[in-house]
Amino acid sequence: MIKTDRKISFQRVLQFLAKHNTVIIFIVMLVISAIVSDVFFTSANLFNLIRQVTPVGIISMGMLLVILTGGIDLSVGSIVAMTGVLCAIFTSTMSLPVAILLSLSCGILTGAVSGYLISVHKMAPFIVTLALMSIVRGSGFIFSKGAPVTVSDNASALTDFGSGSFLGFPNPAYIMILTFILTAVLLKYNVFGRIIIAIGSNEEAVRLSGIKVTAYKLSVYIICGGLSAIAGIITTARTSVGSPVMGAGMELDVIATVVIGGASLSGGKGTAVNTLLGVLILGMIGNIMNLINIPAYSQQIIKGLIIIIAVMLQRFRIKDS
Amino acid sequence: MYRVELRNISKKFGGIAALKDVTFKVLHGEIHALAGENGAGKSTLVKILSGAHTKDSGQIFIDGSEALIRNTQDSKKLGIGIIYQEFSLVPELSVAENIFLNQLGTGFLVRWNKMKIKAEELINSIGFDINPSLRVRDLSIAQQQVVEIAKALSEKVRILILDEPSAVLGTREVQKLFDTLTKLKKDGVAVIYISHHIDEIFQIADRITVLKDGSTAGSLLASETDKKSVIKMMLGRSLDTMYPSHNTFSGKEILSIENVSDGEKVNGVSFKLKEGEILGIAGLVGSGRTELARALFAADKIKTGRIFLAGKEFRQRSPGKTVRAGIGMVPEDRKQHGVILPLTIKENISLTNYKSISDVFGFIKTKKERENTIELIRKLSIKAEGENQETLKLSGGNQQKVALAKWLNRDCRVLIIDEPTRGIDVGSKVEIYDLIFELSKKGVALIVISSETQELTGICDRILVMRKGKIKSELTRKEFSEEEILRLSILD
Repeated sequence: MIKTDRKISFQRVLQFLAKHNTVIIFIVMLVISAIVSDVFFTSANLFNLIRQVTPVGIISMGMLLVILTGGIDLSVGSIVAMTGVLCAIFTSTMSLPVAILLSLSCGILTGAVSGYLISVHKMAPFIVTLALMSIVRGSGFIFSKGAPVTVSDNASALTDFGSGSFLGFPNPAYIMILTFILTAVLLKYNVFGRIIIAIGSNEEAVRLSGIKVTAYKLSVYIICGGLSAIAGIITTARTSVGSPVMGAGMELDVIATVVIGGASLSGGKGTAVNTLLGVLILGMIGNIMNLINIPAYSQQIIKGLIIIIAVMLQRFRIKDS
Repeated sequence: MYRVELRNISKKFGGIAALKDVTFKVLHGEIHALAGENGAGKSTLVKILSGAHTKDSGQIFIDGSEALIRNTQDSKKLGIGIIYQEFSLVPELSVAENIFLNQLGTGFLVRWNKMKIKAEELINSIGFDINPSLRVRDLSIAQQQVVEIAKALSEKVRILILDEPSAVLGTREVQKLFDTLTKLKKDGVAVIYISHHIDEIFQIADRITVLKDGSTAGSLLASETDKKSVIKMMLGRSLDTMYPSHNTFSGKEILSIENVSDGEKVNGVSFKLKEGEILGIAGLVGSGRTELARALFAADKIKTGRIFLAGKEFRQRSPGKTVRAGIGMVPEDRKQHGVILPLTIKENISLTNYKSISDVFGFIKTKKERENTIELIRKLSIKAEGENQETLKLSGGNQQKVALAKWLNRDCRVLIIDEPTRGIDVGSKVEIYDLIFELSKKGVALIVISSETQELTGICDRILVMRKGKIKSELTRKEFSEEEILRLSILD
């Protein structure tokens, strides 16, 4: 009997770990960071950390919605580059609001193309967005003629915003926080979120309940494209330069944050809070390794290992009926 | 001495007691039927024997000595073989490989020929003939069931458990299965047989134990009881009330379909439907019944034909538009299409009518949603811990009630129900029939598709018999006869 009790409590522990694994990893990372580096908890470093994770953080919310429907969007990094470049180009000939709106529209349009092919033509999200990733990246190079484009001096408001801070937080971080709150509320209290999750669980059953699945699937790619454009514009605002190589490989970081946050790539499972924690965890891994001077190549290996551990922890489940 | 003796077994899942102090004894060479409604605890009880679940309390004795069953390996070592409701076969492997899946590793090389010969012998010995080289995915469901049985018998079993084995078998196959069980019984094997079919139980079982709500309701010798008393024991009431009489009520014509074809399975179907009418559609699986329902609901496109709703032609349809026009459908496949298993009862039910519980921005009025769900749970007497329980954890009958509740959640003018009671227990069946009558009284037109002819003759006002995508015949209540319906569905 003692043996079974012990077994049960061991399973309970595993179950607890599985249920709260993102929070636990986050806390463990905080503790480790505090121990290995006395610089970590300085406001300068935290400021830096937040600023670094902002673009990934913004896109991760769009990616979460896409992944909840059971899809994936590989084109986000390319959209960051294209819209960043376009925004920088537009600033030289247009007023700032127009430049921002136009580049944002380009991101939304790209998302709409992916979404249309996926939802109406029933093409595989992986393939469609892989193709878009290539097309959009190429477009970014063509628009910029292969070289970084500097933001026009007329648009100093943009660069001031991008590099400035308010109440000790970098300005762009407020956009990330707003995106996070909107997504969290949408998923928890809005019909849109409910239906997105339901589609990821069983698309056909949702369709047979009389819901326009196509429209919902289309909209998540549009949102994801739009948020990628916002991330692109912010990156350009911060560096004052729109570069066609921005955001290379970023799609993988974004997907990793969503997965570390416990979302299932087959859809129907995932929350905004955990995704945000995933963003911070991934950011902290990079940050702390920089602080203690781990070389970049080893960083990649450690990052990969942590992703594996995070996902492994999610797999412990008590066998119930 | 009993071959199997379970004493005072209890088991809880979460807060719900699945088994309460159950005692169950099986002799050697006895076929012992375990009867009871869905959710009565039959499957849980045998899963405790097979090691798939562990008991919370109680004792298990095998041949008089106490046995410790912590997992499926323990159970196997004790000579317990089990055939589950859900198959555990690997579709991509051959019949022979599946049968000997656990016994492949007796040397460096697999001896394919010997394995195939042994598999063939085994299948023949239970009265069937299946080529052992075929892949399991290419077999019919009935053949897969046979492979499943052969797999259980490939190891020496002293106790064989069959959980609803006949659900997918035809009459002749069931007879062969029974011959095999009788043979095993003569060899001294204790057979535990779970079934919904009372007729079958009386055909094969020596003793019958009835479970109700997780407790033993009684254990009787088959020769000393009859069907009526067993059903009464299962239900706590008698079967005469199963199909309550109802008055045919019908109002204005609500639906009329003309010459509908889907280009494949449905071939020029026309019929009319009145408010409050219960129209049955009979026919074999593959006769186009389900395809007709799906075409009507616009789940699949139609090639030709016209559909009129309340006199107006209904064009450019989609499931969404169909629902908004007041037509609902409870699909045939409950687990795939009827409900979304990982979601809660509340989330499933709200799916058909989010408009009524949200504001213009789509924000959910949580209190209203909760009250709405609780009301439906009560109305359909869905057995659940609450509105936030996952549908996955409900019994089949309760899942079906959730699938129905989705459509009670909005005012439907026409409700199509494909297989309203497949695989669910008698008690839930009666509750679903009552609900159908109630809807009919309110003026809802119902189309009921079913493989159970008895069900159709019991509840419908009119029955259409389909064969090969066409309506073969139309029967009014006076003309109903199960034999006639069967004859029309199988003969050209």
